[in-house]
Amino acid sequence: MTVPSGGTWRRRGSGPVVRPYAVTGGRTEPADGEVLDLVAIVVATGQSIDADDRMRLTPEHRRILTVCRNQVTVADLGAELGLPVGVIRVLLADLIAQDAIAVVPKRPVGERTGQDVLQEILNGLRAL
Amino acid sequence: MGSVHSNPVTAVFSAHKILIAGGFGSGKTTLVGAISEVRPLRTEEALTTASIGFDDLTGVGGKTTTTVALDFGRITLGQSVSLYLFGLPGQERFSFMWDELAYGALGAVVLADVRRLSDCFPSVNYFEAQRLPFVVAINCFDGAPLYEAEEVRAALDLASDVPVVLCDARDLASVKQVLITLVRAISAARARSSRT
Repeated sequence: MTVPSGGTWRRRGSGPVVRPYAVTGGRTEPADGEVLDLVAIVVATGQSIDADDRMRLTPEHRRILTVCRNQVTVADLGAELGLPVGVIRVLLADLIAQDAIAVVPKRPVGERTGQDVLQEILNGLRAL
Repeated sequence: MGSVHSNPVTAVFSAHKILIAGGFGSGKTTLVGAISEVRPLRTEEALTTASIGFDDLTGVGGKTTTTVALDFGRITLGQSVSLYLFGLPGQERFSFMWDELAYGALGAVVLADVRRLSDCFPSVNYFEAQRLPFVVAINCFDGAPLYEAEEVRAALDLASDVPVVLCDARDLASVKQVLITLVRAISAARARSSRT
């Protein structure tokens, strides 16, 4: 039996072979119990992770750290990694606990009023 | 987007959530795909006999998949503002997800199919109860009977401040107009609530 060169046995787009919550070790709730909003913005802190914690990082944790070099929303992370949002939240909580990822505070209200933001959205939509 | 990490971190962009709701087969996936730069996160699965009885196909013949997770798209507007569109799973058995999705949302679009207008009642009721600004967009399917927006408003018993617009969910310009109408309605609602 030969394996096609460079090929895989499954079709592209057929989805991951691993069940979603296998990559969280079966955990379905974030360790800190906090449910991050879909449009919450997260970013890698650049803090070094101690050796023990680093050993425990899964490939998915590492991919999150890579994507989070730039500020990114939870939903974008899910799309980027092809993982359900619930799984992303569990993995993010691990990294937040290690200070490797920070949740970016929303822009303070008052700095820009709500109407300003709405006007900016309107202008942007008209220019599409 | 910057990659410099200072402490404390400040947002380099703001992300705003808009919900796309409506009955099964009303065009939510199509609408998100028509305007989004990110390919919708398609998690549609084939309808199997297991979903018969759950997914009512009356009047939407030809539909063989159902959205089991989120349709999701992002529209980047200028340097620092992004709109995120999320399709609300239409069927009642997914309504447990609505509260989480609606949390912090700016507003919502309710897509209506005039052949099955009652399908959008749950979304309309939900957004009214949440006091979340919304527009009703009548998706003009080929072959669907044409109704005036005002007839639909009466049929849905909508408040006068809820815009009703006709749209083609496949068409960028049309979807853009729906979102502009929504943002204006949100702005008007906020202006009203700040006066009272």
